[in-house]
Amino acid sequence: MVQFQDVTKGYPNGVLALRRVSLRVDPGEFVFVVGPTGTGKSTLLKLLYRDESPTEGRVFVAGRDVSALPHRAIPELRRGLGVVFQDFKLLPSRTVFENIAFALRVIGAPPQEIRSRVIRALDLVGLAHRPDAMPGHLSGGEQQRISIARAIVNDPPLLLADEPTGNLDPNSSWEIMQVLSRINLRGTTVIMTTHNKMIVDILRRRVVQLAAGRVVRDQSRGLYAVDA
Amino acid sequence: MRSMRSTGFRRRTQRVLEQGTSFVADASASFRRNGLMTAAAVTTIMVALLVVGAAVLIGLNLGNIAEVVEGQVQVVAFLRDGLTSVEAEKVRTAVGAVPGVEEVEFVGRGEALQRLQQQMGEHAAFADLASTNPLPDSLEVQLTDPRSAPVVASVVARQPGVAEVTYGGEVVDRLIALTRGLRGVAALLTVFLTSVALIVVVNTIRLTVIARRQEIEIMQLVGATPWFVRWPFLIEGLFQGAAAAVAAVVVLGTVYLVGMLRLQVTMPFLPLAGPADAALPLLGSVLMGGFCVGAAGSLLAIRRFLTS
Ligand SMILES: Nc1ncnc2c1ncn2[C@@H]1O[C@H](COP(=O)(O)OP(=O)(O)OP(=O)(O)O)[C@@H](O)[C@H]1O
Ligand SMILES: [Mg+2]
Repeated sequence: MVQFQDVTKGYPNGVLALRRVSLRVDPGEFVFVVGPTGTGKSTLLKLLYRDESPTEGRVFVAGRDVSALPHRAIPELRRGLGVVFQDFKLLPSRTVFENIAFALRVIGAPPQEIRSRVIRALDLVGLAHRPDAMPGHLSGGEQQRISIARAIVNDPPLLLADEPTGNLDPNSSWEIMQVLSRINLRGTTVIMTTHNKMIVDILRRRVVQLAAGRVVRDQSRGLYAVDA
Repeated sequence: MRSMRSTGFRRRTQRVLEQGTSFVADASASFRRNGLMTAAAVTTIMVALLVVGAAVLIGLNLGNIAEVVEGQVQVVAFLRDGLTSVEAEKVRTAVGAVPGVEEVEFVGRGEALQRLQQQMGEHAAFADLASTNPLPDSLEVQLTDPRSAPVVASVVARQPGVAEVTYGGEVVDRLIALTRGLRGVAALLTVFLTSVALIVVVNTIRLTVIARRQEIEIMQLVGATPWFVRWPFLIEGLFQGAAAAVAAVVVLGTVYLVGMLRLQVTMPFLPLAGPADAALPLLGSVLMGGFCVGAAGSLLAIRRFLTS
């Protein structure tokens, strides 16, 4: 599903965020990316949805080399994956339903399909009963579930989550993990960065650990840290 | 098969219509939100377009005049006072033999005065001229090629009996120089004013872009094409350009019509471009200018916010 081949990413200011990273994620996997702050976890995801392109090496998503993707092909790439952030990125002046429908409208989805697809996505994240609420009136956990619904409403085979529980209390974090696990069980590949030790240690999924831009550990059914 | 295709077509049309409606709604909403800035933007575009339109109108008329005058280019040789008709006829033959001359016509001073009176209309001032006619006898020389006027004129001037020679070419040359100068000034002014207008448009639309930064970010994140993101802003820019163009056309059109009516009374011989001839160049240049400034302004305003 995803492959990094000897990828180095340097930012214009000279920071080397990733150094010679090679990594392969198969379809249907659930991968935690962990490591201290500033080690390149977000950068790793940005290379996948082509917010950044690698300085060296190649990045493949669903068999396509996205490091050499021309600009005009970026929308197509992003329609094939969902992205979730720590800060939700919801539109505060639109309802829950509209926030999700927005993602379908701007890619030109047929209008008559929008309602049913939005409802299905809301159902999957357990918010089918609140389509008309405004995001600001919902809890952080509920807002994150809306943003997940928006990310998966187009049924992408790959879901990227950058610290999706970073702003949430433990209860809400568990709700989010349940939702992500459910999505993963439907066959969607999930790659999630996190600092949440408890979640990683309890769920025991594949763990990729970065340190100073390098992969220092890649372990299936791993823990947050080896020596903890 | 056939009906399937037509439902698909209807769906696509419906989608395009819905998107179009929402684009226009977005654009007019921000028109209302940033009212003052929008008014400033429309006004500056209009000022730039007034210069463009005025230059087009003046250029059109100068060109018209130059063309008419050019067609009338002829060398006129004024004869020395007091020549007998035999002497005058001799000069006429000599002038007729100059290379490049097609035809020579003798115009007596009486006839010259009559022609002038006809051209200028019935002005009272001419009445007392009849007794003290100041005009000399002259020879009107038609040329085989109007461009040879300066050469022929200098040869004719050397003929005995000829006092002075003029040719319309001087007027044409001056008109052409004037037109060129005007174009230069108008071009500089247009470049300057258009830059100012562009800056104001960019800043106005950037307000809308910033107000909708989040939407733009999300759109791009979920895979909207850059053109889908640009369209609403482009429409906003085109609105501003079109509004400015309409205002400029109304102002220029009114001024031109009034001015033309006035000029036609005082100087009926001026070959001015009529409303029908002026309308197309004016509308074309001003509308094109407005749309270009509006479109360029909006595309520049959003450029920085498009990642791809
Ligand atoms: N756009 C950018 N321009 C310059 N440097 C950047 C940019 N984005 C990230 N960096 C730098 O690259 C390094 C890796 O950043 P990145 O955001 O990938 O780390 P991270 O592992 O996600 O950190 P955190 O756990 O705090 O989210 C950091 O040193 C950061 O300062
Ligand atoms: Mg990060």
